[in-house]
Amino acid sequence: MRSQTSPDVENPTRTSLLDADYGYVPTLDPTLPPQPQETRQQPSKPILLLISGLLAIGLLVALIVGNVHIETHDNDVPSPERRNPIEQGVSEKSFGLPGDVPPFSWTDEILAWQAPVFHFTPGKNWMNGPVFYKGWYHLFYQYSPAAPVWGLIVWGHAVSRDMVHWRHLPIAMETDEWYDVNGVWTGSTTILPNNELVVLYTGSTNDSVQVQNLAYPANPSDPLLVNWVKDPANPVLVPPKWINKKDFRDPTTAWLTPEGKWRMVIGTKVNKTGIAILYDTDDFKSYELQDTWLHQVDGTGMWECVDFFPVSKEDDGLDTGVIGPDIKHVLKASMDDDRCDYYAIGNYNPKTGKWVPDNAKIDVGIGLRYDYGIYYASKTFYDQNKKRRVLWSWIKETDSENSDIKKGWASLMAVPRTVALDPLTGSNLLQWPIEELDKIRSDLNEFDEIKLEPGSLVPLDVGPTSQLDIMVEFELDKKITNGLSVAAGVPYNCAGHGGAGVRDAFGPFGLLVLANQNLTEHTPTYFYIVKDKKGVYSTFFCIDQSRSSIAKDVDKSIYGSTVPVLEGEKLSMRILVDHSIVEGYAQGGRTCITSRVYPTEAIYDNAQLFLFNNATNITVTASLKTWKMGLMTKNESGWVWLGPSLILVVVFFFVVWTWQNQRKNRS
Amino acid sequence: MNFSSPLTILFTLLLLHETLYSTMADQKFIENTCKGTPSPNLCLKILLANPKSQNSDLTDLALIGVAAVKDKGVEIIRQIVALKSSKPKLRPTLNYCEEAYHAVVYADVPSSSEALRGGLAKFAEDGMADSAVESQACERSFSEHGWMSPMTDSNKAMNDVANVVRAIIRMLL
Repeated sequence: MRSQTSPDVENPTRTSLLDADYGYVPTLDPTLPPQPQETRQQPSKPILLLISGLLAIGLLVALIVGNVHIETHDNDVPSPERRNPIEQGVSEKSFGLPGDVPPFSWTDEILAWQAPVFHFTPGKNWMNGPVFYKGWYHLFYQYSPAAPVWGLIVWGHAVSRDMVHWRHLPIAMETDEWYDVNGVWTGSTTILPNNELVVLYTGSTNDSVQVQNLAYPANPSDPLLVNWVKDPANPVLVPPKWINKKDFRDPTTAWLTPEGKWRMVIGTKVNKTGIAILYDTDDFKSYELQDTWLHQVDGTGMWECVDFFPVSKEDDGLDTGVIGPDIKHVLKASMDDDRCDYYAIGNYNPKTGKWVPDNAKIDVGIGLRYDYGIYYASKTFYDQNKKRRVLWSWIKETDSENSDIKKGWASLMAVPRTVALDPLTGSNLLQWPIEELDKIRSDLNEFDEIKLEPGSLVPLDVGPTSQLDIMVEFELDKKITNGLSVAAGVPYNCAGHGGAGVRDAFGPFGLLVLANQNLTEHTPTYFYIVKDKKGVYSTFFCIDQSRSSIAKDVDKSIYGSTVPVLEGEKLSMRILVDHSIVEGYAQGGRTCITSRVYPTEAIYDNAQLFLFNNATNITVTASLKTWKMGLMTKNESGWVWLGPSLILVVVFFFVVWTWQNQRKNRS
Repeated sequence: MNFSSPLTILFTLLLLHETLYSTMADQKFIENTCKGTPSPNLCLKILLANPKSQNSDLTDLALIGVAAVKDKGVEIIRQIVALKSSKPKLRPTLNYCEEAYHAVVYADVPSSSEALRGGLAKFAEDGMADSAVESQACERSFSEHGWMSPMTDSNKAMNDVANVVRAIIRMLL
């Protein structure tokens, strides 16, 4: 039987489930013409019974195997070995007096719920070099095969037609050379003008020195880019003497300079100053360090995963090397110190090689963030297929390592987001889940103009809520909406306001996701409007994890930031719920928050959705749409039953046919 | 060589002086490092217990700290195994604690050591942060099930050591 568990690289198109099921030979061929019976012995009852029995077993096998096939199809997870499967010897939950929260223990059922369905999830992973090549989107990710914890890293590889449905491929690059034996770390792909593809990646050598290495596809005509070749000249770039040998990693995609050289950026630091340095090359094998640094910011520490790309108000996405009078450049870096991804918008001078931020007060590392929750080591790539720039990021777990070992996996990717300059403000980016995610929506529920007086809590009956796409708009009193401005001078801080339970004049109001009936567990995603002494309103967008779970070994922070709201705009948020990950987008993606939550009771059928208004002084009117989100899973796929149903029908007809023959013979 | 020659005596004295200074300098370095941790005395105890600390840079000191976390974890696992026979009623919770400390010794510690050697201090910090979390989770699991914890001192010790090492690692960022 052809196994579906190992990826079938010879057949890159998704085989239909029907074909997948039909890999076995039926025990009897029902299509043979009936033999003349007169000259043969009548088939006796025991034999008939035996045949029916075998067919029944065959049906059972097909049912089981059919289901196993489906499980490995859409979410082929090469999960790390489960260590020490836990015997549930925990004592019975002793329920205390009413009002007491019962003591809690992680069970396999609770842990199993946490696995997301429409987010990319292999074992343990970081971000690497996403690229679109020959009709396929490629995701190369940092993979730790040994355990759900950071360790020896190799390049995992998966491909997709739509960045939603993934096919896992073999490991692209292993730690098999002295220059990457301690880790095949982050790199970037550059597509050359002749459509050739090269990869520059960081290797940790046998002495743990960080060096840059060149690699390319072994077979460029293979659209799946399964096999890779490391250049014999590696390492092609070693740390300059004035930099610490362990502060030299994550080279960016290269672009062509006016002089016709390829230029790329590497982040590093000098003392506590984070810097981005430039290298030029003709052939990706020998590099010239540029005298001027692209940029630096004091006090920000090491810059990891630097990203540098053009944006403009007119275009949704620009290829890396584009320059022009209306083009701005975004410089982004992951701050080693505080585990956040920061970006700033500014101007790049290709002649001097310097980039200058529009607003030095919100420079790289001290200003705007892609996402105010758990979001790190992110990277963009230019999608030539749809002419857009797509952002990927690594989302870690915020539960205990013990739980990660028990559930067998850790870390995932946020949904891919398009990233573009906000044409209305010009001073921030907009991120939005890629439109391909709309394809996996189903079961639309619409609610129009629900009036939420102060203190309201409205349950929304939308069916299961562990996989949801919610788009909601809030209308407030015109007096307030006209006063909302682009937040200035207000610190980006939701944690300081104490969470959704703290009532104030103009907030908080929003949604409760992954909430159980009695609200002992709930995750509010909300707006919170604050008026300062001058009468200027600022709007905060927050996700509050403080009551997301009664478990005590999970993170309970409150994340968020101010969000620019322009005059006359309604307040809007889009929330993607996918089990233990909640992603929020406010005002079309001006401010984004990714949250990890680990409820113990608000799971499966007990997870519900509410609208709430905890403000004391305003009434809010909410209109929203919810969709169920899902890839075809074992439970949802109707195709699972087609195979076994057909077998059943065939068996039925065969038995009837045999029966008829028996009767004919007797008569 | 004339051992009693004034030159030789001077040379020997200078050598002694230098050694004394460099040891004092190393000691100062260790002291300063420990001052930046939540439990400076515990920090000194851990670091000075290992003679290698005298010639260590910050990464090496952190590695000594991680090794101390491992030793403590191994010791605590042994304690748990013994408790399982002496206090069978507590076995379910002790099982949970055993898993928690397993995570510390077999996942967090190796991950932190490897990250420190590779120069990626933040993953090392994560490992130590988790070690503290696991010790707290173990301690809480007793009270949550209505028992008195027989491991309070051990769990606190792990929590304190992990937090000290975490602080040292943060200095690398």
